[in-house]
Amino acid sequence: MKGMIKLGITLALYATAACVALAVVYTITLPVIETRTAAELETALTDLFPESDSFEEISGTIQSSDDSIEFANVYLLKKNGKAMGLAIRAIGASYGGPITVLAGIGTDKHISGVKILENKDTPGLGANASSPHYFVDRDAQLTFYGQYTDKSIQDPFELKNDVAAITASTITSNAVNKLVKVSSQAAGNWLENNTGGAQ
Amino acid sequence: MKRLFRIFTNGIIRENPLLMLMIGLCSALAVTTSVSNGLGMGLAMTFVLLMSEIVISSFRKLIPESIRIPVFIIVIATFTTIIDYVLKAYFPDLSKSLGVFISLIVVNCIIMGRVESFASKRSLIEVIPDALGMGLGFTWVLVGISAVRELLGNGTLLNIRIMPESYQPILFFVLSPGGFFVFGLFISLNLFFKSRLKNTEESAS
Repeated sequence: MKGMIKLGITLALYATAACVALAVVYTITLPVIETRTAAELETALTDLFPESDSFEEISGTIQSSDDSIEFANVYLLKKNGKAMGLAIRAIGASYGGPITVLAGIGTDKHISGVKILENKDTPGLGANASSPHYFVDRDAQLTFYGQYTDKSIQDPFELKNDVAAITASTITSNAVNKLVKVSSQAAGNWLENNTGGAQ
Repeated sequence: MKRLFRIFTNGIIRENPLLMLMIGLCSALAVTTSVSNGLGMGLAMTFVLLMSEIVISSFRKLIPESIRIPVFIIVIATFTTIIDYVLKAYFPDLSKSLGVFISLIVVNCIIMGRVESFASKRSLIEVIPDALGMGLGFTWVLVGISAVRELLGNGTLLNIRIMPESYQPILFFVLSPGGFFVFGLFISLNLFFKSRLKNTEESAS
């Protein structure tokens, strides 16, 4: 019994020392990680809407119409206080795990751009979805995610019809396409109801 | 001095953790699709191995025999979490591409094995060359495997295009079965080095 208490105390001491060390590292790195994440988000948003001058997070106000797709964050982009469009960070399932897409939808009912933020699919196949060097149209140097830029949200969003798919990666192509489709339709509806329709 | 050097070189070929002891393979095969991943993983792992061996060797007389395993795990987990935070803060791209495999360093058999069989019994001065040698042994294999896989499977090295534009990448090498193939080739390469090493040692004596 006495030995057990002694062992317990020894183990607790080691654990305490470990916790203190971790707390120190955590306090040092946390602000760096937070600034970096915030900066990354801002760059991504201004890439989608280069003319915007501010944004506001309105996550939670828009729900995804599809159970398999989650809208993690929604941002309202503004210029001089006037709404320019929405950016939705949507997560859905793909071949190698969840895939995260940031889709920008303008008040003109056109997609201003799509970014694939996280993609765990097979390198050389599904990973091509987020590669800037993989072209669905080699002559036009059009990337898979780039083909959505300026696309009307009223389009059918059908693979191999109005959306080019990635060779041998139907699951990834489908996953991204569905994310963009659901996000842009939800954003279109929201913009219509909240900013007085298309301009 | 010669003894310490021998401890250091032990992990590189003779007792290479991956190619001779065949431990810690899971992370080695999973992350070696690109050279930067392989190098990052190798260095992260070396850091955790070195720090854990140093701490455990210094405190080895204060660690009761019956609770040594939980203490080892606490120490290893602490350093793994530290490297995880540091990568997230200062090398976000690497942290993203290595993903969960950084956290999985905790359960890497190489660290547990070295700590249990070496660091918990030896003095600090022997432990440092052992950790560096084992870490280097792990890293060179990772970099080697990932170089072959990235070059053949993607046509690039460190994301710089090496193969001509017309080269059709052999996807097989980026996928897991290709990883096993390259790994097997490295085992036989290492056995070849080892036999050469033995011959020179015998002829020298």
